[in-house]
Amino acid sequence: MAYSDKVIDHAENPRNVGTLDKEDPSVGTGLVGAPACGDVMRLQIKVSNDGVIEDAKFKTFGCGSAIASSSLATEWIKGKKVEEAEAIKNVDIVNELNLPPVKIHCSVLAEDAIKSAIADYRAKQLPSAAEPQIDE
Amino acid sequence: MDPFAVIGAPRRFDLDLSALEKTHRELARALHPDKFAHASTSERRIALEKAATVNEAWRIVRDPIRRAEALFGIGGIAVGHTREPQASSAFLMDVLEQREALAQARKDRDMVKVRALGEHFEARAKAAEEKLTQGFALAFAGRESAPDRGALETVLPVLGELRFYRRFIDEVSAIIEEEEVS
Repeated sequence: MAYSDKVIDHAENPRNVGTLDKEDPSVGTGLVGAPACGDVMRLQIKVSNDGVIEDAKFKTFGCGSAIASSSLATEWIKGKKVEEAEAIKNVDIVNELNLPPVKIHCSVLAEDAIKSAIADYRAKQLPSAAEPQIDE
Repeated sequence: MDPFAVIGAPRRFDLDLSALEKTHRELARALHPDKFAHASTSERRIALEKAATVNEAWRIVRDPIRRAEALFGIGGIAVGHTREPQASSAFLMDVLEQREALAQARKDRDMVKVRALGEHFEARAKAAEEKLTQGFALAFAGRESAPDRGALETVLPVLGELRFYRRFIDEVSAIIEEEEVS
């Protein structure tokens, strides 16, 4: 399949690959997978006290488009407010990377990963999250 | 196209693939262009189309994932992106951690670890295939043409699990090949 230059660039030189401490209360971890193809993606954000995403890391096991989508997603959300990051839509990723129709699900996965990381971060900000958890 | 009908297989997940391979070979031989050397143009074209159908049916039936997809399709259950249930986060976490362990083993060129991870996922894939066998048997029991939707939906997440396992196993094979070449 013909990948666009931007997909190849992100897939060969992915930005922000890595891990943040998932126990850190300022870190939100999003974990998503695509049962239809077997791709898995983890996207993490570190949020400052004033609600700005100061760092983002990802790890994706999947095709070039899935890696490029998540790499681009981390690049975009860094420096954004959580609410701004939340507004990113998969079509923005499709347009930027020129993804063909059969690879649109990769951008959906990246959008889900951002939302899932934000949801995890917010859950940690709730007062009860500071209490020790007994249940797994 | 119903690949099971084309290849003469029953609608079930566990199949005698070596017997079906023989059936496929016989069908393909009967449709071989050599047999139609003296036939009319339209007969030749029909034979060619039939041969393509038979080959495609065999490719579907012999592959566990495509076979399962075909059985879900017969039952009217849509498969593919956005149509299948999302895997649990505990499952995804486990798969991701094991993928990281595999990537590390590849970096360390620790082939013992690579093979052990491969065997672990082969076993999990086998268990998933057994679950599919039971699920489809239940769904198709006594109603081959109209399987039970509820029973099919119950077993649908297992297809997704199997795809995650398959991706892992493919990656193990790629690492082993890479190691043998170097």
